[in-house]
Amino acid sequence: MTEEPSRQKRRIPARWRAGYIQAIAAVAGATVVSRVLFALVAPANLTMTYLLAIVVIAARYGRGPSIVAVLASVAAFDFFFVPPYLTFVVTDTQYLLTFAVMLTVGLVIGSLTARIRRQAEAAEQRERRTAALYAMSRELAQAGATDQLVAIAGRHIAEVFGADVTIHLGEDVGDDEVEAVCLPLLGHGGGLGVVRVRPRRRHTLVGLEPRRQLETFVNQTALALERARLADEAREARVGAETERLRSSLLSSVSHDLRTPLATITGAVSTILEGGDRLDARTRTELLESVRDEAERLNRLVQNLLQMTRLASRALQVRREWHPLEEVIGAALRRLATALAGHKVIVNVPPDLPLVALDDVLIEQVLVNLLDNAAKYTPAGSLIRVIATATDHKLTVEVSDHGPGLPPGEEERVFDKFYRATPQARRGAGLGLAICRGIVEAHGGRIWAQNLPEGGVAFLFTLPVSGTQPAAVPADA
Amino acid sequence: MPEPSVVLIEDEPQIRRFLRATLTGQGYRLFEATTGADGIVEVGSRQPDVVVVDLGLPDMDGLEVIRQLREWTDVPVIVLSARGEERDKVTALDAGADDYVSKPFSAGELLARIRVALRHTAGASHEADAATFEVGELQVDLLHRRVFVGEQEVRLTPIEYKLLTTLVRHAGKVVTHQQLLREVWGPVHTDQAHYVRVYMAHLRHKLEAEPARPRYLLTEPGVGYRLAAD
Repeated sequence: MTEEPSRQKRRIPARWRAGYIQAIAAVAGATVVSRVLFALVAPANLTMTYLLAIVVIAARYGRGPSIVAVLASVAAFDFFFVPPYLTFVVTDTQYLLTFAVMLTVGLVIGSLTARIRRQAEAAEQRERRTAALYAMSRELAQAGATDQLVAIAGRHIAEVFGADVTIHLGEDVGDDEVEAVCLPLLGHGGGLGVVRVRPRRRHTLVGLEPRRQLETFVNQTALALERARLADEAREARVGAETERLRSSLLSSVSHDLRTPLATITGAVSTILEGGDRLDARTRTELLESVRDEAERLNRLVQNLLQMTRLASRALQVRREWHPLEEVIGAALRRLATALAGHKVIVNVPPDLPLVALDDVLIEQVLVNLLDNAAKYTPAGSLIRVIATATDHKLTVEVSDHGPGLPPGEEERVFDKFYRATPQARRGAGLGLAICRGIVEAHGGRIWAQNLPEGGVAFLFTLPVSGTQPAAVPADA
Repeated sequence: MPEPSVVLIEDEPQIRRFLRATLTGQGYRLFEATTGADGIVEVGSRQPDVVVVDLGLPDMDGLEVIRQLREWTDVPVIVLSARGEERDKVTALDAGADDYVSKPFSAGELLARIRVALRHTAGASHEADAATFEVGELQVDLLHRRVFVGEQEVRLTPIEYKLLTTLVRHAGKVVTHQQLLREVWGPVHTDQAHYVRVYMAHLRHKLEAEPARPRYLLTEPGVGYRLAAD
């Protein structure tokens, strides 16, 4: 389709030349036929044969050849069929009238036919461009992103008009070029940009019709861009509303979760301060221990909040390095030593696990959150297991407990922000698992929960093990 | 020997109050400064045994304080920093800090770090005498290059042994991956942090009863390792 305009252009002179030759040939043909009919019909009627030839030439080759045909016809008629024969001399003046009528009728027919032909061609061209416009609209309707729209519109306009097309969005209108035609992309709220069309051949865009068609293309593009912009705005508004909703539930959740430990701390400390010597040593120690535990909880909460904010704003940086998983598990267990003191923890990590590219600080956080949950929601003294297994492609870590498990059907929802298994569930802003999911997914892994048939719940997450392990560690003797 | 002295550079009055109670209660002489500039002057005039610096100070970055101190003194510097800012800790350690404590920290943690720092200053003068290192069941005979867990002798490869003795030299203190790479593998391999981790895993499997829950070779995620000192 791209070459069509140029091919057409190249053909026109050849076709024209052929037209003139055909015109002469047609007149010659008409002369032969007239010669045959000469004995049978009146000479004036022979002009009809010539008129027929003129109509055919006009219809096929347009104005120029038709004029040639008219002139040639008059000349041939005079030469062959007007006495004295075989000269252009006219003795009978009534033939001058015949010539005049023949000339006039020929020219009128020729120009009318030629105009019809031009109109038919224009209609065809229009139809082709309409089809192209339709094709572009359809493609534009399927695309969503602004840069896609720009690419599609640019390609279509370039194809249909045989031109180099650049589309500038926003304030930037590009360099001014003498050759180019500039059309504004007008949206509802003002200009969206400029389409700059530089025809590869002159005259492609000359005339009212092509310009109007080009405008239609540009308007269609503007509509599509406008639609994309509105869709973007709507999406942003939706995200904004969602953020607002999150923020408010975060605030209510956080203020509750901050106040509870703060109440414990304030209460315990004021009891100690006011109770003075009346408190026995054991009570005092117990109170102080609860102050410490609640303070640690507050710290974990703040840590989670911070991490959540980073995840939400996509500011979380994953610094992957090669780690043995065992080490990260060890660090998490050590950090939670106090919280896990009341439970029995069994760790099962095969010694031959491959190294994994992970961010140790973040994956430690995942393990801390999972283990902290396990400690929180299961009775003291119960068992918590940490099991790691590896296949060719991934490493799976499982943290399972022997607690009450999750309400059936809630295994997926526990990873939502602010979710709590039960409304009155103790502590935690319901962020821990959401953070785990964010971190694991940032590593290209997956996290899920499943209730265990023997009771309790298992949280599992995977980390991809890439095919390439790091540079081999130099062996030593 | 007089009580050891500590210069504390910290702008938060509540933290100063709590550390004042803790440190003077433990018999340290405490000098306080609330800005970095004052702190540097205080260190110059008091010649303390240990400096404790908060990384977030009102007038200048704690890192800058460390850098300026390191221009003229080797006094042990312990950094107070928030959890989650592991990069800052590494930067502080690279700038010459000796150790760090993550806020919030318990008094016990800070006191342990200070004790380790004091021990290292004291040990520097008679390091040659320290022929053995012991913690829990682990015993390293530096003179005869032998390592025991309980009664059992453990065979280590040369790199494993070098890694272990490097940690022993810094026992109780955090050692960054970079530092270990430099000291064990030399300056060429400092971008291969996994060497350290792989050999550390080997060491744990040879020395720890439960490698996933180490008793001696502790990990400080994002920073490095610490050999338990007590």
